[in-house]
Amino acid sequence: MNVTAKTYQKGEIPGVIAINATVCKGCDACKRHCPTGAITGMFGTTHRIDVDLCLSCGQCLINCPFGAPYETSDTVDEVIAKLKDRNNTVVGIIAPAVRVAIGEDFGLPAGSLVTGKLYGSMKKAGFEILDNNFTADLTIMEEGTEFITRARHALFGEKSEHGGEIGPLPQFTSCCPAWVRFVETRYPTLIPHLSSAKSPQQMAGTVAKTYGTNVWKKSPESIYTVGIMPCTAKKLEASRPEFNAAYKYNKKNGRGLTNKPYPDVDTVLTTRDLSRLFKKLKIDLAQEEEVAGGSLLADYTGAGTIFGNTGGVMEAALRTAYAVLTGSELKPLEFKPVRGLQGMKSASVTLKDAKYNKEVTVKVAVVHNMAENIQPVVNEVLAGRSPYHFIEVMNCPGGCINGGGQPVCSSGSSWISAIRPWFAWK
Amino acid sequence: MEKQSYQYIENPLQVTRREFITIGGIVVAFLAIPTVWITLVTSSSSRYLQARTKGLYQDDTKAAVRVSHGNKSVARYYKEFGGTPLGQISEELLHTKYINRTKVLS
Ligand code: SF4
Ligand code: SF4
Ligand code: SF4
Repeated sequence: MNVTAKTYQKGEIPGVIAINATVCKGCDACKRHCPTGAITGMFGTTHRIDVDLCLSCGQCLINCPFGAPYETSDTVDEVIAKLKDRNNTVVGIIAPAVRVAIGEDFGLPAGSLVTGKLYGSMKKAGFEILDNNFTADLTIMEEGTEFITRARHALFGEKSEHGGEIGPLPQFTSCCPAWVRFVETRYPTLIPHLSSAKSPQQMAGTVAKTYGTNVWKKSPESIYTVGIMPCTAKKLEASRPEFNAAYKYNKKNGRGLTNKPYPDVDTVLTTRDLSRLFKKLKIDLAQEEEVAGGSLLADYTGAGTIFGNTGGVMEAALRTAYAVLTGSELKPLEFKPVRGLQGMKSASVTLKDAKYNKEVTVKVAVVHNMAENIQPVVNEVLAGRSPYHFIEVMNCPGGCINGGGQPVCSSGSSWISAIRPWFAWK
Repeated sequence: MEKQSYQYIENPLQVTRREFITIGGIVVAFLAIPTVWITLVTSSSSRYLQARTKGLYQDDTKAAVRVSHGNKSVARYYKEFGGTPLGQISEELLHTKYINRTKVLS
């Protein structure tokens, strides 16, 4: 633990990623993947991470050819203990990008979509399932409605229904904790532009311990929520002290049994962590039966699942915003301009706002791979000349499917697997 | 010609031992530049990216419902418990505030 860390609140994990000094070769490869220049050290010497600059995104970890960076928080054994204790209902919150990557750890081809087998393995291990895609749909309802409110306020001077303040345009997405921390540590003047909607993971934790108590017929205290994420930054996100909304709500409404605060999301496992958990419990995902999610909290739509791809949140939001504004569905539903791996994508949609009977052109932009692409977008918004109304930002290249918590060696998302044959002694 | 084919050629490249070591060193140094490796293998890593991306788009294409406002279980959540998007319970449970962390940085 770093005692000098200044950009963390009490209770937060002060940096999820650290570099093992005895393994680091000082090859500098990680530096070009770091969005904030948090990695210091001369070429050839041991490198270190400045925790105050670090976003815990894990890109250095999946791209280091020598496996030197490691995660400081590992709760696999803790989760196994909770699974064995019958008094708990352990809820696994499965992020979209996990279902197309975890198969790689069990010998399946890259990109295999294994939702059914993943549910099967989780149930065998003892989890209840809350598909994070369900809360991705919920996020769209909240964030999309928020966007429509902001847009109508900016374009037509519409007032807030509840008399609250309405944020400015462009609205930024807030699903990516690395991006949120980037804004909080560097550009606090942009905070009003961030959507106030929580990330799907945090919504899931809150819903599990409030509405979920009706679904599973359990007390909130006995529900233990585990984020299953492609992302190391989600570990830091879950540890933010303000994320105990379910506890506050339950206490206020007399739904709680104890006065002991509990977090919305108790702990987070990365895709790699979950593979290790399965292996410890002798569960071979590749051989498991395909099963269904088993509760309404596992129901999801195509819009929720594409959150894991760069451009996915924007596409999902546009599908819903279009329908709400015009009264008819977007056709075709595939919104191709926001797909693909270009650093920065932009598009515009002209539609008629049925409520005001006026044509509006909505301009959107999508940014991923923050290390290379974020600065121009941020500069534009800071200078007040951004042409966009809605901007999606995801830290990792390609989006969460390439997150810092995804399988590394077997997948080759790191370049070590391609290089390894060159080291004859390995 | 005949004669030459029986000749033992000690140094076919016409480089001295010292020159050979120098050239070897340059090659090694070149390969030690991470960007060289990265360029050599980006094609393979982007193959994995594309495979995973395709997997998720497939999940969308095969879904019975493809728009969030069409999720019946989400609608049920709002009806039984959550009220409306941006409503009072939503503000309490599904929205948050952010923190200016630069004050402590300086
Ligand atoms: S890429 Fe890995 S080995 Fe190279 S400097 Fe970074 S942490 Fe050290
Ligand atoms: S975790 Fe991300 S922000 Fe932190 S040092 Fe690594 S690449 Fe940089
Ligand atoms: S892009 Fe996704 S995986 Fe990467 S830091 Fe953001 S939320 Fe995590």
